[in-house]
Amino acid sequence: MGLLKDFKYHTPVTLKEALGLLKKFNCPLVLGGGTFSLNRLKKSTKYPTDVIGLKKVSALRGIKDLKGSVSIGAMTTMAEICASGIIRKNFPSLVEACSQSATTPIRNMATIGGNVASRFFWVDLPAVLISLGAKISIAGPMDKRGLEKAASVHEFLGSKPPKKFIITKIIIPKSDCLSFYFRHTKAMPVDVPSLALAFFASLNKGRLTAVVLAVNTTVSFPVILKEAAAAMEGLRPKEVSLKSVLLALNIDAQNLRLDEYRLHCLATDLESLLGTFGTGA
Amino acid sequence: MKNIKLKINNKTRELAVRDSELLIEMLRDRLGLLGTKYSCLEGDCGVCTVLLDGKNVLSCLILAADADGHEVTTIEGIAQKGVLHPLQESFVKNGAIQCGFCTPGMILAAKALLDKDPSPTDGEIASGLDGNLCRCTGYIKIIDAVRQASQRLKDGK
Repeated sequence: MGLLKDFKYHTPVTLKEALGLLKKFNCPLVLGGGTFSLNRLKKSTKYPTDVIGLKKVSALRGIKDLKGSVSIGAMTTMAEICASGIIRKNFPSLVEACSQSATTPIRNMATIGGNVASRFFWVDLPAVLISLGAKISIAGPMDKRGLEKAASVHEFLGSKPPKKFIITKIIIPKSDCLSFYFRHTKAMPVDVPSLALAFFASLNKGRLTAVVLAVNTTVSFPVILKEAAAAMEGLRPKEVSLKSVLLALNIDAQNLRLDEYRLHCLATDLESLLGTFGTGA
Repeated sequence: MKNIKLKINNKTRELAVRDSELLIEMLRDRLGLLGTKYSCLEGDCGVCTVLLDGKNVLSCLILAADADGHEVTTIEGIAQKGVLHPLQESFVKNGAIQCGFCTPGMILAAKALLDKDPSPTDGEIASGLDGNLCRCTGYIKIIDAVRQASQRLKDGK
């Protein structure tokens, strides 16, 4: 026996085949990039008899520029997202989150679908995907018509996942927008974040609209700073007042029970954000 | 068992591997390519780095079966006809090796970086090697070595 206990490894090439295998076996493990799951398996006492690898399913890869949105195949790696001209042009915050996440070899292997499906609190991508209004497309073996269901990342993380599912793609709406990602770590930059803030706002006639501030607290699924976002809503970027945003942040911090460290990090991030707007005090 | 066909260090190989066999196990235990090291086995240290289709990846986090149809390069595969790769020479010249345990992974990560970006800044070299830990050198000489190798490769020497 090697480093991993024995299991049967299935390598479907189509989504239909993958869903068929998912239906056939009792509790199979679905393997994306493998950076979480294979590590888990090395230490796990609960061991699958069947593992379904998705690396050969070409339908789950690639980035497509659609009318009004961008579709990212669930098996697209973080490195591929960082290198994509479409993503760089439309969603700089997603590039920022992917490029700061983990290390170069992990980014060459880890996938966007795996990052969301892992449901770990500390991973980088859910907060930024929530801020961008992304939807995830999920396919399950129980749907006889083979239809995929779409859910917002917030809905997906906020509810119990289906027993058997495969994330097929992430769809992000395109708009004239601003997006930023701020990330804090406690020791080295390659550490998992201790806190991260994802900012998104549509620009409507030069005014910030649909402002979202999603926070990765690393102790829960991402939370939303509603009051701080409201303090920016409808204003031109240069008109946003740091003082009023920080006051609103204090209310959010109380509502969300954020500790002093997190409040301090967020205040710093919001100051940096408004700095990019050219806002005064 | 799974039958796989892949290119390892430019040679096509056909192998039967266990379903749960990791790429590092196949390289070391089946093929005797011992330059790829076992260490943390969690994807943190980078000593098991290999190039998969030119990209640096961690062979402790990849199933051997997933290398089917791909091209794997290990440290044994980068010298050409007995002549060291400029990165290997530069590591020796710059004293970028102490205990040497991290060196194969470092050189492969540096190769992936230089193949993609022949003129990286020191910051970009450090970022490109962020998945590889060295507990001896303090990284300064490693970065010097990659910078000099990059210059040599550009000059075509």
